[in-house]
Amino acid sequence: MYEILAQIVKFLLIGLIYYFLYNFLKLMVLDLYEERRSSEETVYYLQCEDGREFPVRSVTTIGRAKDSDIVIDDPYLSSKHAMIYKKGRKMIIQDLKSTNGTYINGKRIKRAVALRENDVITMGSRKFTFLRREARGLERGSDL
Amino acid sequence: MDSREEAIYNKALAAMALMGFLSFLLLSIYRKPVSLVPFYGAITFLTIVFIGYFFTGWIFPNSDKFLFILAGFLAELGLIMLCRINPELFKRQVAFFAIGVGFFILSSILTKYFVRLDVAPFYFWAATAALLLLPLFFGVERGGAKNWLVFNGFTFQPSELAKITFVFYLASVLKEGKVNSIYRLGAGILAVTGLLALSKDLGGAMLFYFTALTVIFAATSRLDLAVGGILSAAVGGIISYNLFDHVRVRIEAWLNPWRDVPGRGYQIVQSLFSIAEGGYFGTGLGLGRPDFIPAVATDFIFSAFAEEFGFLGAAAVILMYFLLVYRGIRIALRLNENFLVLLALGHTVMFGMQIFTIIGGVIKLIPVTGVTLPFMSYGGSSMVMSFTSLGILNGLWQRALEGEDDDEA
Repeated sequence: MYEILAQIVKFLLIGLIYYFLYNFLKLMVLDLYEERRSSEETVYYLQCEDGREFPVRSVTTIGRAKDSDIVIDDPYLSSKHAMIYKKGRKMIIQDLKSTNGTYINGKRIKRAVALRENDVITMGSRKFTFLRREARGLERGSDL
Repeated sequence: MDSREEAIYNKALAAMALMGFLSFLLLSIYRKPVSLVPFYGAITFLTIVFIGYFFTGWIFPNSDKFLFILAGFLAELGLIMLCRINPELFKRQVAFFAIGVGFFILSSILTKYFVRLDVAPFYFWAATAALLLLPLFFGVERGGAKNWLVFNGFTFQPSELAKITFVFYLASVLKEGKVNSIYRLGAGILAVTGLLALSKDLGGAMLFYFTALTVIFAATSRLDLAVGGILSAAVGGIISYNLFDHVRVRIEAWLNPWRDVPGRGYQIVQSLFSIAEGGYFGTGLGLGRPDFIPAVATDFIFSAFAEEFGFLGAAAVILMYFLLVYRGIRIALRLNENFLVLLALGHTVMFGMQIFTIIGGVIKLIPVTGVTLPFMSYGGSSMVMSFTSLGILNGLWQRALEGEDDDEA
C-alpha cells in the first residue's frame, strides 16, 4: 500500500520541485530584463567635429577596440580609451588609463568626473561635444 | 515591490507548502505505528517560513525574498530526507531552522545599520584564528576532525562562525583593490588554513584557501597571484599526501574505492550505489536504502536525496544552488564600495565552494572531505551560520538599494 502511494507521490514531488525551480528561473529572467532595460540609450549623445553623432548609453566605452560601443579609428587613441556611464542622474566620464589621456574643456582628467552639457571632450586628435537630445527625447516620451 | 515578482513569490511559496504537506503526510504513514510527528513538524516548519517571510517583508519593504525562499525550500528538502532517515534528528533540525531564521533577520539588521568600513583587518583575523584555536585546545573529535566544542551537552562547531569572520578579514584587507603586503596576507591565510589542517578538517582548509584565492583575484585582477596560489596548493597537496596518513587514505579512496570496498572505500562506494539506484525518477520517498551510507544525515545527504528523488531531483537541487550563487553575485555587482562588494562576493564564493566540495565529494568528482551541504545537511552550527551569511547578503542588498536612492536625490 505504502509503496504504491510513494510511487505516485514521487512524480508529484518532482513536478513540484520543478515548478518551484521554474518560478525562480522566471525571476532570474526578470532580473536580466531589468538589467537590459537600464542599459538602454540615454538622452545624451556625442557630436564629433565632422558632424557624426554617437548615442551615449548608460555604459558606453570609447576606443579603438572593435568591441567598444563607440569605435574610433585613430592612432592616437588607446584600444580602450575612456568610458561614460550613468550614475543616478549624472553622466560620469572616466579615463581608462589611456596613453594620450582624455581632456575635458582642455583639462586632462585623472579621476572620474561628471559631464555637463556642451562639454568638449578631447581624445587623441578628436574633439567631441557632449549634447542633450531634446527633440528626440520628446518623441521617445510620446512613444511610452 | 513589483506586483509581478510578488505573484511569482506567492506561487513558489504555494509549491513549497504543497510539497511539505504531501511528503510529510507520506512520511507520517511510513513507519509503523503511524505517528503524526512528521506532519506536526511540517506545520511548524511552514509556520516558521511564513513568519520569517512576512516579518522580513515587514521590517525591510524591499528585502531580498529570493534568497530566503530558496534557502527555505532547500531546508525543506533536507528536512524531508532527515525525517525519513532519522526522526529524532528531524525534530532537532526544525528547532535549528527556527534559530537560523532568527539569525537571518538579526544579521540582516546588523549588516544594514552597523557594518562599519574602518575596522582594522587584524581584528577580524584575530577572531578567526581564535575561533579555530579554541577546538584545538578544548575540542572533541567527531568523525575524524577535532573541531567541535561542547558546553554541557550543547555542541558547536567554531569553524562555521570562522567562515564569516574570515570573509570579513579578506574584504577589509583587500578593500583598496590591491595587496599591500603579500607576505603578511599570505601568512594570514596560511595560518588560518594550517589551523584547520591541524584539526584534520581538510575540507575546511580547502574551502578557506580557495575562497581567499578567489576574493584576492576578484579584488586585484592579478593573474600571477592566482596561478601562484593554485600551484602552491598543488605542492601543499603533494607534500601532505606523502606526510599525513589521513590525507593519503582519502585520496586513495577517491582514486580507487573498489580496491578496499569494506574498508576505506566503504562510504564512497555506498554513496555511488545509492545514487545509481535512484535512476532518473528515484526510488520514491522511503523506498531507497540510504541508511547504508555512513554519515548520511550530515555529509552524504545529497546521495540519499539523489537516491529517493532521482537524477531529476538532484539536478534541480544543484540548479537551485546555482541560483543562490547567481543572486549573491548580483548583489555584489550592485554595490558601490569595495569593502561591501568583496564581502558579498566572499560569502557567495564560500557558499559556492562549500557546495562544490561536498557534492563533488559524494559523486566522486573530487576526494571526499567532511563539509556540510548548506541548508540541507543535519547540523545546528551549519544551518544557523548559513542563514547568518544569507542574512549578511540580504543586509548588503538593502545597502545597495539605499545607495542607488541616494544617487537619485
